[in-house]
Amino acid sequence: MTSTSSKTRSRLLLALALGASLVAGAARPAVAADGPSAVVERTTSGVIAILTDGKLSTDEKRKRVEDVVLASVDFETLSKLVIARNWSKFSEAQRAEFMTLFRNHLSMTYGRNVETYKNEKVTITGSRDENGGDTTVKTKILRGGPGDILVDYRMRQTAGTWKIIDVIIEGVSLVSNFRSQFQDVVASGGPERLLSLLRDKNAKGESLKTS
Amino acid sequence: MMRLSTIALLAVLVLAPTTTCLAADPPPATETETTSDAAGTGADYDPWQRMNRGIFWFNDQADQYVLEPVAKGWDVIMPEPAETSISNFFGNLRFPVVMLNNLLQGKPGDAAIDVGRFMVNTTFGIGGLFDPATIWGLERHSEDFGQTLGVWGVPPGPYLVLPLLGPSNPRDTAGIPVDWVFSVTPLFLSSFWWTGAGVINIVNARAQILDEVQQAKEASLDYYVFVRNAYYQRRVAQVNDQKEEGTNAPSDDLYDLNVIEDTK
Repeated sequence: MTSTSSKTRSRLLLALALGASLVAGAARPAVAADGPSAVVERTTSGVIAILTDGKLSTDEKRKRVEDVVLASVDFETLSKLVIARNWSKFSEAQRAEFMTLFRNHLSMTYGRNVETYKNEKVTITGSRDENGGDTTVKTKILRGGPGDILVDYRMRQTAGTWKIIDVIIEGVSLVSNFRSQFQDVVASGGPERLLSLLRDKNAKGESLKTS
Repeated sequence: MMRLSTIALLAVLVLAPTTTCLAADPPPATETETTSDAAGTGADYDPWQRMNRGIFWFNDQADQYVLEPVAKGWDVIMPEPAETSISNFFGNLRFPVVMLNNLLQGKPGDAAIDVGRFMVNTTFGIGGLFDPATIWGLERHSEDFGQTLGVWGVPPGPYLVLPLLGPSNPRDTAGIPVDWVFSVTPLFLSSFWWTGAGVINIVNARAQILDEVQQAKEASLDYYVFVRNAYYQRRVAQVNDQKEEGTNAPSDDLYDLNVIEDTK
């Protein structure tokens, strides 16, 4: 009960970090007509091209990675899925603010992975059609020694474009995980409580970054 | 005598969701209905939350003030390849547990791979320090008796945080002593040696995930819920074995916007 499990744990956490960095973005028009696997392929290879570009500073890399990822994520759908049933309790303004805060939260906490990139490669291992028209694209992050990490992307087509709506790392869905975390907060303190927690969290992150 | 390495490992487990312990099948329908509000899965079934949060807090203190500082020191001294080798070494020793559980789960093919891995890594891998077996296509498995019970259809039960051992549930907890029996390590080593080895294993394992744990804490609004949810989902995935097509997907309900928008 020792090292195998610890290895799994460590892989999971790393995967959460790497995978979530791919989610940290807002919705933006993507190239139309690509299939779901092509979108994942374009996004991951785009990210790796930026990470391996020796001419870019860390800050530039971070910004560019964010742009590439944002273009492939349906952030509105992702936000709705995370808030789930409580979405109707949010006013239009609160919804907009939530999306901004949540996006900033993700890019701040996971964007730092740009600095710790260690030549990981990504390979697409397959895809699966889901009920309701979604497709899951299965990938593997190849890390050499410490073992590979399985990352699945849940894709949905909106207005002819396939975008990421969830990242599932070693079986752990980010949407489900954040939904669990936000559920209690909204239930007890309403949307405003969640927004204020996110504001505080982001403010703390900003001050860490500049200090 | 209780295995100290096990206890020490617990501290590591607090921090990370996937432990040796239990796994989860999709809960029965009634359970899903009462618990699916939060996560779209049974991930939030936590009637013992008060107690669990207390133990979780205690575990986190033990980590912050004891394990993590030691692991940081270790990480400074040990080069990364050495940490990987130590981890490989202990993983190799776990071979009987993994193999027996694969047999009990009706996967003789995987058990045979485990035997092959042990032979290759113990010889060519110099006592398990290296992992040539993976390069040769003998994939490593992570199995324990909690998963075996899950494969047999035993539901996980409510979330349970164990002192020092971390995230679990009644089913996974029941698996711990069984895996201890399966593990042959303590039988041929004196307690002095396996206690020492256990401590090294735990410190080394913690050292390998220093950044990841830090990041998980920063990225979560409620770290307790983050761990609880991730543990549940991870155990479901492990019981189902990810390579099986389709069994690893979160439920479709999780992605149903109609459910969300129809609810006022």
